[in-house]
Amino acid sequence: MLLFRSEHHVDRWCAQWNRSRGGILSLHQGWQLATEWYADRLSPSWRPKTVPEAQAAFAKIGLVEEFWKLA
Amino acid sequence: MTSANKSHGTASTFDDKLRQFIYAYFIREQQAPRVAEMPAALSCSLREVKDGLKRLAQSHAFVLQENGELWRAAPFSAVPTAFPVEIGKRLWWANCIWDALGIPAMLHKDARIPASCGCCNYEMVLNVKQGKLTGAKGVIHIAVPARRWYDDIVFT
Repeated sequence: MLLFRSEHHVDRWCAQWNRSRGGILSLHQGWQLATEWYADRLSPSWRPKTVPEAQAAFAKIGLVEEFWKLA
Repeated sequence: MTSANKSHGTASTFDDKLRQFIYAYFIREQQAPRVAEMPAALSCSLREVKDGLKRLAQSHAFVLQENGELWRAAPFSAVPTAFPVEIGKRLWWANCIWDALGIPAMLHKDARIPASCGCCNYEMVLNVKQGKLTGAKGVIHIAVPARRWYDDIVFT
């Protein structure tokens, strides 16, 4: 999961590594995702998210395309 | 019954203690604890620590090196990466840009993330201040579809 200046730079990177383009997040979505994922990580009662919980976290910030399906 | 069960209640309780010890150590020391340090800190055997680490690694939040030492305790990396995160005068390494944002999210602190473009290394400093992200403009690219993330977590 890398940071790029723009989608043009993503495309250049993909060409350089002979990879097809994956999923793109805005930085705002990235921050929202990080908060969803890690804000409670130090809680003694923390448990890894189940697949439905993780899917719900993605959906909450608009990540609903096939690329984001976990199962 | 596992050896962890015998002296520490359930394996789950032991794993919770081990997990909290690792995170507290990372936060305090800005680096991972060595496996050899853990038994004394947790009043248990080396075998119990190794078994606990293997169970934690099954959650994918923890990844071990081939030598059994910690490699990742997400969002922290035990080894230097291209994703440093500065909080005040302290510095941690993250595994990827998601985890770099995850460190201030987890610690609920302001942070400076001196990142760069994955394509050309152009400087892209991000800042987290009072729960908001500011700084460089850009996008995050995730190379692998979600259902295949753990096939090759390093490339993902």
